[in-house]
Amino acid sequence: MGKLTKVLILESGTIINFSMNGLIYIIEELKKKFDGKFLITSQVKYETIDRPLKVPRFELEALRVENLLDNRVIEMPSSLGISEEEIKRETKALMEIANHTIKQDGQWIKIVSEAEISCLALSSILTKRGIDNIISIDERTTRILAEKPENLEEIISKKIHQNVKLITGADFSAFSKFKFIRSSELAYVAYKKGLLKIKGPKVLEAALYATKYKGSSISHEEINALKKL
Amino acid sequence: MPLKKEECDNAINVLEQTIKALREKDPIKLRELSDRTIHSASTEQNPGSITSAVIIYTLSKLIERRDYSKIKNWDKFVTKFNSLIKLAIDALKKQNLKAYEKHLQKARKSLESISVNLKQYIREIIQKASINKSSKLYEHGISLGQTAKLLGVTEWEIAEYSGQRGIADNSQNESIAVEKRAKIALEFFQ
Repeated sequence: MGKLTKVLILESGTIINFSMNGLIYIIEELKKKFDGKFLITSQVKYETIDRPLKVPRFELEALRVENLLDNRVIEMPSSLGISEEEIKRETKALMEIANHTIKQDGQWIKIVSEAEISCLALSSILTKRGIDNIISIDERTTRILAEKPENLEEIISKKIHQNVKLITGADFSAFSKFKFIRSSELAYVAYKKGLLKIKGPKVLEAALYATKYKGSSISHEEINALKKL
Repeated sequence: MPLKKEECDNAINVLEQTIKALREKDPIKLRELSDRTIHSASTEQNPGSITSAVIIYTLSKLIERRDYSKIKNWDKFVTKFNSLIKLAIDALKKQNLKAYEKHLQKARKSLESISVNLKQYIREIIQKASINKSSKLYEHGISLGQTAKLLGVTEWEIAEYSGQRGIADNSQNESIAVEKRAKIALEFFQ
């Protein structure tokens, strides 16, 4: 086997989205065409398998996701020799930066959790090892924080009707290196590659809306733009 | 960490108005008070603000749907609930956050055990209230994972609910152009 060059990191939201939409096969089909690995962190495993296995309403979905792991469609970072310890250390460092970015009235707002940041930590470790990677994340806060933090400042200020301050130090530059897509773009890629099981002129639109309504932070305008590409 | 004075005053005011709105069976006022709590819950993230946002919203639902008429001991419950809220207010005035949270937890328990017949139904409303509040916190810019953690709900529950609320439909959501992101995705899978 040649050197691994690519990794898709799946955050909980993308797995939950595809699972609830009956589109989990997209992950399997994309993996077949992908020269690399699909990885999840232990925090994502907890949220998509371990925890829902104890909730009757989500038990079947959790089993489906577990099946992906059993069949090595998705894998844990240990499959690349990345230890839990290493991810925890990097997560802690990134959390420290992320949760000291937005200040309101002299107090930092805790905006992100370990679940999301563990994916960024894994991305950071992979990048250091020279492995190209991308994070598929549906929730918007982490993505906006990394790509356009001033928008997050605006969102929070507007919502709490008070000005919050965005304060980014030198170490915040680490966040601008992460690459993000959403389940909507994964569905788009699956469509372009002819991997969607349903065919027809409205299937792309339908798939994109399905991802939107199960948590992908994509707007109507963005869906319209994607349809035209 | 003590609550900031304005936050403390706001929480006291919300609880005082809750007592009145509950007595007057005013669901609109209760909903508004719950929303006010969520503003501070998003920044302070203290368990007390989060518990009060959930229980006040639950009360608004019970009154809005006239469920209270099916509860035999409703008036007795209101008296007990309001006395616990008064204790929470007293604790807040003394900046005793531990006691404030304890009294709110007791108020939540009194709500859960309001009626044997409706116990399951009320639990479901509390759970839905927690999902609603998670979604509100997410709308306030707190990540989905963090809101799930604060409210004790799963990301599965919030994903569906928040997906239907149009949270993504504002201009600040687009942090890079969708065309560029689609291109990145396609190239990554080539």
